[in-house]
Amino acid sequence: MSGLHVDSVRKHFRFRQVLSDVFISCKKGEVIGLLGRNGSGKSTLLKIIFGSLAAENRFIAIDDIPKNGLFESRGLIGYLPQESFLPGHIKIKSIVSLYCDRNQAAILFDHDLVKPFLGKKSRELSGGERRMIEVLIMIYSTASYLLFDEPFNGIAPIYIEKIKLLIQEHAVKKGFIVTDHDYANILAISSRVIMLHDGAVKKIEGLNDLVDLGYLPEKYDIELEKITFT
Amino acid sequence: MRIIKSLWIFYKKLVIPSLALSVLLGFFGTSLVRITTGIGISYIILTPVIHYFIYEVNNTNEYYFYHNLGLSKVSLWVNTIVMSLMVGFAFLCL
Repeated sequence: MSGLHVDSVRKHFRFRQVLSDVFISCKKGEVIGLLGRNGSGKSTLLKIIFGSLAAENRFIAIDDIPKNGLFESRGLIGYLPQESFLPGHIKIKSIVSLYCDRNQAAILFDHDLVKPFLGKKSRELSGGERRMIEVLIMIYSTASYLLFDEPFNGIAPIYIEKIKLLIQEHAVKKGFIVTDHDYANILAISSRVIMLHDGAVKKIEGLNDLVDLGYLPEKYDIELEKITFT
Repeated sequence: MRIIKSLWIFYKKLVIPSLALSVLLGFFGTSLVRITTGIGISYIILTPVIHYFIYEVNNTNEYYFYHNLGLSKVSLWVNTIVMSLMVGFAFLCL
């Protein structure tokens, strides 16, 4: 099977089974929207796929080659955690050079959203600026599959629109799994939507599914009805 | 090259506090041992402790920066210990 293949993921915390035999696949060209209530295991699942969190059982493969741990997945799977992760003592320019190849770094160095911050250290940026830089660096990084945990958190709507466009543009040659409680934006960019519910993955084919699974209130924003599912 | 650069970025944050405290302890320990011996021993012991407080207690999320570059927590700890031993022994040999 080509692409990122995640199978048989099981994880429990104390007496609670958070993930039970979870299966996800993601091919280049896809943006998978991952939804779920608070505590449903979305971040846990992304960390397990990335390799930074151990699970009772997991099978991760990329293009049929099993990947065990961070070192084997380096340059292939990138993870944007919920909280800021850039070291405060390094200039943004150096971080871009570390994460991106020469061509992508050159594009970022000239990017209007990144250029003003290149000479600054991440600790000198506001929370929103830092988040935006983190998202952009990850999008342009060498990783083929990107796991984004709440990428829109703290970012101004005008920049969210730019980031959404960039994700869709880069999804031509990369695969994305994106989770965020800003579900309207997730639905807008996703080619496929899934939801973690009771430790298992459910395929979402319409807003009614989200209501039925208890993710959305019964009276959701009517504008969202216009969004089509594929 | 990218991995070596990343390891240096990680370690750089530990050097100044470790060295500053080691020099201080080395200076106060001159009645017991030579100053360079004191600095060397302090550096070997203090750097992992400072690693723990900087990365495990205060900036846990920064680990993801290095994870994205293929470095696990274990490899970062090994880097700290090996580098500290090298620097510490260099002081001991002075």
